Amino acid sequence: MMALPLICATLSFGFLSCQRETRVERATRDKILLLGNGAEPKALDPHLVSSVGDANILRALFEGLVVPHPADDFADEPGVAERWEANDDFTEWRFFLRHDAKWSNGDPLTAQDFVYSFHRALHPDMASPYSSMLYFLKNAEDFNTGKIKDFSQVGVRAEGDHLLVCTLVSPTPFFPDVVKHTAWLPVHQATIEAFGSMTDSYTAWQRPGNLVSNGPFTLIEWRINAYVKVRKNPLYWDADAVALNGIDFYPIDSPFTEEKAFRNGLLHSSYSVPDNLIAGYREKANTPLRIETYSGTYFYRCNVDKKPTDNVNFRRALAYAIDQETIVKYVTRGGQIPAYGFTPPAAEGYDPPHVIRFDPEKARDFLRKAGYAKGSDVPEFTILINTLESHRNIAMAIQDMWKKNLGLEKVKIENQEWKVYQQTTQDQRYDVSRAGWIGDYIDPTTFLSIWRTGDSNNYTGWTNPTYDKLLRESFLLSNPVERLAKLHEAESILMDELPILPIYWYTRVYLLHPDVKGWHPLLLDHHPYKHLDLIAAKSEAKSEAKAKRQNSGKKGGAE
Amino acid sequence: MPPADSPDSALAPPSSRRDANAATIEKGSSLSRDAWLRLRKNALAMASLCFLVGIVLVSFLLPLVPGIPDPNATHPELQSLGAFSRATTAEGQSIFYLLGSDPLGRDVFSRILYGGRMSLAVGFLATFVSLTIGMIYGAVSGFAGGRIDSAMMRFVDILYALPFMIIVIILTTYFGNQLWLLFVCIGAVEWLTMSRIVRGQVLSLKRQEFIDAARSLGLSQSRILFRHIIPNTLGPVVVYTTLTVPAVMRLEAILSFLGLGVQPPDASWGSLIKEGADLMSSDPGLLIYPAAVFGATLFSLNFLGDGLRDALDPKSSKD
Repeated sequence: MMALPLICATLSFGFLSCQRETRVERATRDKILLLGNGAEPKALDPHLVSSVGDANILRALFEGLVVPHPADDFADEPGVAERWEANDDFTEWRFFLRHDAKWSNGDPLTAQDFVYSFHRALHPDMASPYSSMLYFLKNAEDFNTGKIKDFSQVGVRAEGDHLLVCTLVSPTPFFPDVVKHTAWLPVHQATIEAFGSMTDSYTAWQRPGNLVSNGPFTLIEWRINAYVKVRKNPLYWDADAVALNGIDFYPIDSPFTEEKAFRNGLLHSSYSVPDNLIAGYREKANTPLRIETYSGTYFYRCNVDKKPTDNVNFRRALAYAIDQETIVKYVTRGGQIPAYGFTPPAAEGYDPPHVIRFDPEKARDFLRKAGYAKGSDVPEFTILINTLESHRNIAMAIQDMWKKNLGLEKVKIENQEWKVYQQTTQDQRYDVSRAGWIGDYIDPTTFLSIWRTGDSNNYTGWTNPTYDKLLRESFLLSNPVERLAKLHEAESILMDELPILPIYWYTRVYLLHPDVKGWHPLLLDHHPYKHLDLIAAKSEAKSEAKAKRQNSGKKGGAE
Repeated sequence: MPPADSPDSALAPPSSRRDANAATIEKGSSLSRDAWLRLRKNALAMASLCFLVGIVLVSFLLPLVPGIPDPNATHPELQSLGAFSRATTAEGQSIFYLLGSDPLGRDVFSRILYGGRMSLAVGFLATFVSLTIGMIYGAVSGFAGGRIDSAMMRFVDILYALPFMIIVIILTTYFGNQLWLLFVCIGAVEWLTMSRIVRGQVLSLKRQEFIDAARSLGLSQSRILFRHIIPNTLGPVVVYTTLTVPAVMRLEAILSFLGLGVQPPDASWGSLIKEGADLMSSDPGLLIYPAAVFGATLFSLNFLGDGLRDALDPKSSKD
C-alpha cells in the first residue's frame, strides 16, 4: 500500500532531476570555471609548491612580471611588468612595472615587493623546492647555499618603485620566459610578516581571508580535499578584461571519479582521463577528449646512495629492461612517446641523445656486470609511487618486465598519498621512485638543470662534476647551436649514468567542456585564466541535435 | 555428583538426562553434537557450509595445480580480453583466459583465486584475533563486575572514540608494512564490539542458578568462567563472528587501497573489486566476477551464522 506513492515520488523525482540544470550549466551562466585539479594542493605559497596542480591555482591568484600567452608558448605577455628590455648580451634585464598594479587589499605593488619575494624564495631557511629556478640571478646560488649572507649582493634591485633590475649569471635570451614561473611570483610582505617571520612555512597567511594576492583572482574559500575557490579580483589592473567571475579547483585524485564528475556535468575540465576510457572517448563524435603534446617526461628516480641502485650497471640494466613501447601502447594509451633521452625533443630544435631502447640482452649483460649472476641475487628493493591508478599499472607492468627480462623476484611496490610521497622523495627515503618532470619554460635547461649537484629537485643524490661543468659552460654561451651541443653532451652523461630511468614523454590527455572558450593547446599547459571565457554552447547544440534527429528519423542519438 | 547444569539441559534430548549414576556421565556434554545434529537439518546452512569449505579448498589448493596462469604475469598486448578466450603472448606462450584478462593482460580467474587466499586468510585470522581478545576481555570484565568492570569498559569506550582508521595507520607506520600486521591490526580494532556483547551475556549468565550451583560446589573462578560461562555465550558470539568476517574483509580492501594492506601486484577480493569498479563502464567482467564470488562468500557466512545460532541456542529456535 505504501509502495505505490513511494514509487510515484521516486519516478517524479527522477524525472525532475533529469530536467534540473547541471552544476556546469549553472556555473557557465555564472561564469565560474570548474576545474579538476589532480591532488589536494600542498600549499598556496609560491615559495613552497612544486607540483603542477598547485601552480595552476597560483597562476589564478598571483601575477608575475611576465605572463604566458593564451595560445603561443613562445610569446610573452606583459604582466606586472609593462615592458622589459635587456642589455646587449642579455645579462641585465630591466622590468618596467605598471603603475596601476595593486595588491588585493589595495596596497600598491612595487619593485620592492619582487625583491622581497626573491629574497624569501632564495633564503636558505625557506628551503623552497624551486629556489634553483632563481639561480639565473647573479650570486643567487651562493646566497641560497649559505655561502654569502648578504642578499644585497644577489643580482636583483629595485630602482624606485617601478623599475626592477635583474643581473644574471650568464646570457639568458629567454629570461622573460623564465620569470613566468611560479617561483618568481611576488608575495605580500605585510601579510606574511603578520603571521610569522619571512621564512616561516605553512603559516596562516595563505588561508582564505588572510591571503593577499595580485592576480586576476583572490582566494575566498579553501576546504581541504573539497575545493579551492577563487573569485574575480576587482582591484586587478586588468580587471575589465577578465571575463570569468571565478574559478573552482577540485582536487580529485582518482581519474575515474574525475571522469564521472565530468560526465555528470560537475566539471568544465578534467585534469586527466583514465587510460582505459581514452579509446572510448576517441570514438565519440564531438569528443571532449583532448590529447596534446606536453613538454614533460615520465621517469623513475633511482636513489644512488642506496643499494642496489647505487651501482651504475644495475641502473643501466633496469633502464634497458623497460619495454617503453609496450607501456605507451597498452598501458598509458594516450599517444605518449617512448623516451629515448630525458629532455623531450620538442624543445627548440634540441634532440636528446638516442640512448635508451628496450634491449633485454643488453640489460642482462649489465646485470652481470653489476655483479649479479642472476636476477634472484638482487636484494629486495621497492618502487615508490603516489596513489594513482595509472602509476600503479605502470609500476606493475615494469615490475613484471624486470622479472621477465632480468629475473628480479624481489621488487615491491609501495604507494603513498601525494603529499607524503613528495616528502619521502625529497628526503631520499626510497629505492626507486616514480617521477614526472614538466618543463617550466621552453628550453632544455629546464630539464637538465635539475640534475646538477645539490639542485633542489634532484632528490637522487646523483652528482657528476663534468655534468655540472658542462651545464655551467652552456650557460655562458650565447650561440644557440654551441649551447645546445653542450647540453647534448651533458645529457649524454646523464643517460650514461642513469640516475633516472626514462619511460615516456607526456602528452596532455584531458576532457574539456565545449563551453570553455579561449583555451588553446599549450606545450607547458600554463593557461592564463584571464583570457578564458564561458559561453553556453548548449543552445546551439540543442537546435543542431533537433535537426539531426529529424534527419535520421527514428534512429537514436549520435552516440 | 550431578553434572554442572547448563541452561539448555531441560530442553536437550533425553541423552543428557541419563541416570546420574551411569558411567558415561563424564562424557555427557553433548552440546556440540546436539548442535551439529540441529545444524544438519538446516539445508541452507549446510549448503553455505559446503560452499565455504569449497571456496576455501579451491582458493588454497587450485593455484597449486599446474596450468593455472601466474596471477601477476602481465601481458599488456593481451589486455581486456573477454571470458573463455585463448590468446598467444608475444613470447609465443598460449594462455587460456577463463574469465578474461585485465588491462595489463593478467588472468582474472587466477587473480580471483589468489585474491581469495588473501581475503579469506585476513578474514578468518583477523576475526580469530578479535574473537580471542574480545571474548576473554568481555568475559573477565562482566564476571569481575564492579570497579574492574567499569574501568575495563571505559577503556573500551575510549578505544571506540578513537577513529579506528587512524589507529590502524599508526600501527602500520610504526611497525612497517607487513602482512601479519594487517591481521593483528584489524583484529585488534575489531574486538571492541565483541567484548561488549560477551560482557552483556556474562552479566546475565552469572546471576543464573547454574552458576550459583557451580560456585557452591567450590569450583574455581576461572573454571566457572571458562567452563560454564563462556560456552554459554557462544550463540551470540558465533552470530557476531560471522558478521565480523565480512566486515574485516571489507576493511582489508579499504586498507589495501590506502596502501597499507595488500601491496600490488598481489590482489585480494577487495582490491580486485575496487579495480573493477573503476573500470566497470569499459570492462564489467572485472567487477562482476570477483564481486559475485565475494558476495556469495558473505551470504554463505551469514546463512551459516544463522544456522549456527539456531543450532547452538535452542531457545531462540522455539520462537
